Amino acid sequence: MSGELRPEEAAQALAEIEQRKEQVLRLVTIPRWFFWAIAGLNVGLSAAIESRRPIVVGIGITLFVVGLVAVILRFVLGSVRHAQPRSDLMPPSGVFAILGFVGLVLAVTLPAAFLLQANGVRYPATLGALIGGVVMVVGGPLLTRYLQRAMRANASGGRR
Amino acid sequence: MIKPKFDEVIHAPTRLSIVSLLAATEWADFGFIRDSIGLSDSALSKQLTILDEAGYIEIRKGFVSKRPRTSARLNSVGRAAFEQHVRALQEIVARAGASVLPPPDSSAKR
Repeated sequence: MSGELRPEEAAQALAEIEQRKEQVLRLVTIPRWFFWAIAGLNVGLSAAIESRRPIVVGIGITLFVVGLVAVILRFVLGSVRHAQPRSDLMPPSGVFAILGFVGLVLAVTLPAAFLLQANGVRYPATLGALIGGVVMVVGGPLLTRYLQRAMRANASGGRR
Repeated sequence: MIKPKFDEVIHAPTRLSIVSLLAATEWADFGFIRDSIGLSDSALSKQLTILDEAGYIEIRKGFVSKRPRTSARLNSVGRAAFEQHVRALQEIVARAGASVLPPPDSSAKR
């Protein structure tokens, strides 16, 4: 049959393959709510610890742990409900981007908190976590877009 | 180096769509494949059976929260056959003098 297949039909089949691959790549997305939730949990935990009241600290830590587990479970279960994209679609640059993003959030949060503390501002850790949270909420969707682009490029490169 | 080899089992339009989806995944849920391609349950079952009999896929049946759940994955034989088929398609297009590469942003526009 391949002898009878016209180039246009072969090109159409290749386009179909690309379209299906794209459908799978669209599954690789970190929802915005995930970044909001993690940022909110961090701010809540920092505020609870800075209250210095044992009962508030206890409740804060409990809520943080329960919230974190719930958020991660919801994210993971939501991701794997449909299909699991091939792990080798993620290039090393994608892994470095994720690590870089975590590093960036820490690099903003910690110095900001120390700077605020050095200047005698009240609740420096909470404010630092708030600033880090803003970086997370703004940068998260950018990271997601970058990861999808990197995977798309990697998948195309692998086939060429 | 992947040797081009046209595959009749894979090339049938519906199966090409199914295998293309599976080629990009570790595994895919029955419902995801069905909804992505727009098939009925029975039509998808039939196509998956053909691919299974060809030795290209593995079908897993299990339960999640007491609900039956079926998923499929392309095995190494199926993946190799798919890659050879893609290479054969690329050769056909290349022989005709056209580019086998999609336009840079074609996937993003879909």
